[in-house]
Amino acid sequence: MLSGKGFTNVYNLSGGIKAWNNEIAVGPQDLGMELFSGNETAAETIVVGYGLEEGLREFYLSMTEKVAEEEAKKLFSKLADIEILHQDYLLALYKDVTGKSVSREEFVARTVQPAMEGGLTTDQYMGLYRPDLESVHDILSLAISIEAQALDLYQRAADRADDEGVRSVLQQIANEEKAHIARLANYIDSL
Amino acid sequence: MKWMQFFTPVRSINGQEAKELAAGKGADDVIFLDVRQPREYERSHIPGSKLIPIKELDERLDELDRDKPIVVY
Repeated sequence: MLSGKGFTNVYNLSGGIKAWNNEIAVGPQDLGMELFSGNETAAETIVVGYGLEEGLREFYLSMTEKVAEEEAKKLFSKLADIEILHQDYLLALYKDVTGKSVSREEFVARTVQPAMEGGLTTDQYMGLYRPDLESVHDILSLAISIEAQALDLYQRAADRADDEGVRSVLQQIANEEKAHIARLANYIDSL
Repeated sequence: MKWMQFFTPVRSINGQEAKELAAGKGADDVIFLDVRQPREYERSHIPGSKLIPIKELDERLDELDRDKPIVVY
């Protein structure tokens, strides 16, 4: 249908979703969209994103207390640290968008209650993927699944955004999530 | 024109090729278009996909960027 309507760069994924042997997202189109009222400014959108990164960082930190294997503890701790880098990216993006520098402390004070990335709760992620939390491979797979869900949420929110500035911010965060997935996948491949 | 539908080729690619097509690009530089029903999308979809069920596609073509590669599933 598309090819006859002026779309010249169309591919058919042979085998459909079953042939997509990579990360997936789940849930309806409006999953997690309550995090974005649709009335936020670009700057407020970044604050929401920061809260999501913080929610994930706190989750990883809590897991370091729950697992027994030293290697699993170290990996959860490393994943928590990586979230700080993601937050730094959002702080820089905030400065780009608003032209104002803001300290981490000031920014944290403005964030809403941390929520988990991608719009699912911790329990929902656990129930969905049932990871062996002592397994390095399973922990990384879980992290990829969470980032994939986050990418999906930001992309859906970007699609919905009417304001060009907000759309651009959401798209940049979605791109960043995509890069996170690639880095985690490389990490798994290196094991 | 209707005849174009029959002469404009659509390439088929597998999952790995689709992944390589999108690798290193922005999340919306390659559009993954899910033309299944919402319930199927809900069960699992490629992250960042755009859902337009096949029966709505004809009326919603303006939501798609003609300049970007589109992977349909």
